[in-house]
Amino acid sequence: MRSRLNSLFDALLPVIATLAALAVGAVMLLLLKVNPIEAYAALWDGAFGSSNALAETLVKATPLLLVALGICISFRGDVINIGGEGQMIIGAVLATWVGLTFVGLPGWLVITLALFSGFLGGAVWGGIPGILKAYFNVNEILSTVMMNAIAVQLMNFLLRGPMIDPSQAQLASKIPQTARLLDIFHLPRLAPTRLHLGALIAVMLAILVYILLWRTVLGYRIRAVGQNPNASRYAGIKVPRYVVLALLLSGAFAGLAGAVQVYGVNYRMITDGSASGFTGSAGFNGIVAALFGQLHPLWSIPASILFGALLVGANTMQRAVQVPSALITVLNGLVVVFVVSSEIWRRRRQHRRLASAKEEESSTKQDQPQAQTEEAKQ
Amino acid sequence: MNQENLLVGLAGVLAAAAPIIFAVLGETFSERAGVINLSMNGTILLSAMGGFAVAYNTDSILLGFLAGMLIGALVALVVAFASITLKQSQVAVGFVLALTCRDLAYFLGNPYMGQAGPRLQALPIPVLSDIPIIGSLFFRQEAITYISFIAIYLAWLWIFRTRPGLMLQGIGEKPAAAFIRGANVNLMRYVYTVIGGALIGLAGPTYSLAIRAGWMGTISGLDGIGWIALSITIFGGWNPSRAAFGAYLFALLQWLGLVLQPVLTQVPSQVLQVAPFPLMILTLLLVNIGNAEWVERALAAMPETTRKFLSKLLRAMRASPPAALGVPFERD
Repeated sequence: MRSRLNSLFDALLPVIATLAALAVGAVMLLLLKVNPIEAYAALWDGAFGSSNALAETLVKATPLLLVALGICISFRGDVINIGGEGQMIIGAVLATWVGLTFVGLPGWLVITLALFSGFLGGAVWGGIPGILKAYFNVNEILSTVMMNAIAVQLMNFLLRGPMIDPSQAQLASKIPQTARLLDIFHLPRLAPTRLHLGALIAVMLAILVYILLWRTVLGYRIRAVGQNPNASRYAGIKVPRYVVLALLLSGAFAGLAGAVQVYGVNYRMITDGSASGFTGSAGFNGIVAALFGQLHPLWSIPASILFGALLVGANTMQRAVQVPSALITVLNGLVVVFVVSSEIWRRRRQHRRLASAKEEESSTKQDQPQAQTEEAKQ
Repeated sequence: MNQENLLVGLAGVLAAAAPIIFAVLGETFSERAGVINLSMNGTILLSAMGGFAVAYNTDSILLGFLAGMLIGALVALVVAFASITLKQSQVAVGFVLALTCRDLAYFLGNPYMGQAGPRLQALPIPVLSDIPIIGSLFFRQEAITYISFIAIYLAWLWIFRTRPGLMLQGIGEKPAAAFIRGANVNLMRYVYTVIGGALIGLAGPTYSLAIRAGWMGTISGLDGIGWIALSITIFGGWNPSRAAFGAYLFALLQWLGLVLQPVLTQVPSQVLQVAPFPLMILTLLLVNIGNAEWVERALAAMPETTRKFLSKLLRAMRASPPAALGVPFERD
């Protein structure tokens, strides 16, 4: 009975952590002299209140999920990819170029080509830090962050120069954006809302990534390298190769997210000069969603929807009760801090449970209690 | 460019490097003790905003700097608690904090956007500032820049020339051995992470109260500096003097980018803006390449003289992280 209660508690922990974060958010709202119930009601309404709201939530969740899938792969391989923003940008640039160049080809072909080139662009931008890490020992956290900065400037150069919308080039404002894609190149809508095919692609890819990680040799090796590179080396796995692969795949999914953003939402590439001007910080928030989903591709689906809902609901909340929408990004951070800490807490409880169970067992034997508890600790 | 402009520019480089030096020294202490404080980028932004806000409201620059240090120390305390006591992933916590602190800074700093507040004035040192060249280069700076000079020396002295510094090295390299020698590993890690955090927090007000006075929110151009400081820490091989060299080099490159922009009109402006980043990647590559297996193998196949020269060069550039970096310590 007690153990069943325990496991139920463990399963509910992320939910409890989310509620705790919302409670902290409520205190902040109170400090801003805003009624938290009213604010959260507006948030819920904005995220799930109508079919349009729900569609917006899913549209926002799509790039988060795609980035999160890549993060599941790389973090499982013990490779930290902070470069989602840059990878999204490069993927989007390449995909946009395809759409603006091959205007004579049929729509389905261009969309396929574009999504594939987005995947490829992200793979290149993730593969470079991968090679740097695997063969030159360059810390991937730093190199991916730097690759972000490089991608942003590359985007600004292209969108203000060679790829600028010809009509903007005439104007004095010169908004950094490309020309609009032809209507036949837009990703099909799934319902009479803004929900597009990309959401479905992302969910299908989540299942594929699950299969990749847990049902294929490749995925097994990536995870093995992540858990113990030395043991993997002795087992004959070429560790550097899988480090590169983990980062490359991770980048590829982010690149696809960028392409989907262009072909499903904006129908052109547009920015305000910063990375988040194009990505909406999905490259970072995807990491948060993946961590929330405990680096599991399938759990990343509800996690992405949750964060998508928070982002969409934030706008409604901002309008309804006049609080800065930045409060929501703070809330996002709080949710993750709470969830990650609760996860560790759960593990420690589990260890303690195991340890006490073993102790009980060994105290009846009396022979090697010392060795037993030692083992349990590890 | 005449000599006077050049001197002013170079003096500006020394000032511009000051916040990076504080951040890098703070991170060096933290990582020497075995804790990666990845929150640095957010901490710098939040302490810049907080320091400015406090100085603006109290009209005391000193309180502003202290507030920045307090913010840095508090964020570091969260990192320390999560990684040392809760034993959770330092990278995950640090990264989330980096984002959260950045957003908090933009969110809480909204009322202070573009306000004119107090700022540190230059403090020429009598007599010394009259020495030609050297005087205008080193001794007509703001007080915080002098502090950055002293901090480099003190940090180096502490780590390499004192007994507690020796213990600090031990805690990061072989915590078990340090524990046997009587060190309270986890307590020391807490202490160094928090002190390091306070130093990182000093970087923020150095921007918002001195070299880029004011708070400009998202357009203040401070976003990203923490990540650069993090790579300079690695470039510096966890050694304060080498890290300071890296910080000055970076500030110099940035200044050159600004100076060269009007000269090289045919080069797109983005090239110069982005140049520090590939250069940082390149330096990280050079620092680390000596550790790669295949390089050793390639060296072994080379003729004697080339090999000797190359391996000496690689050894000079190489830096290895503290062995226990990011690994929680458990006594058993």
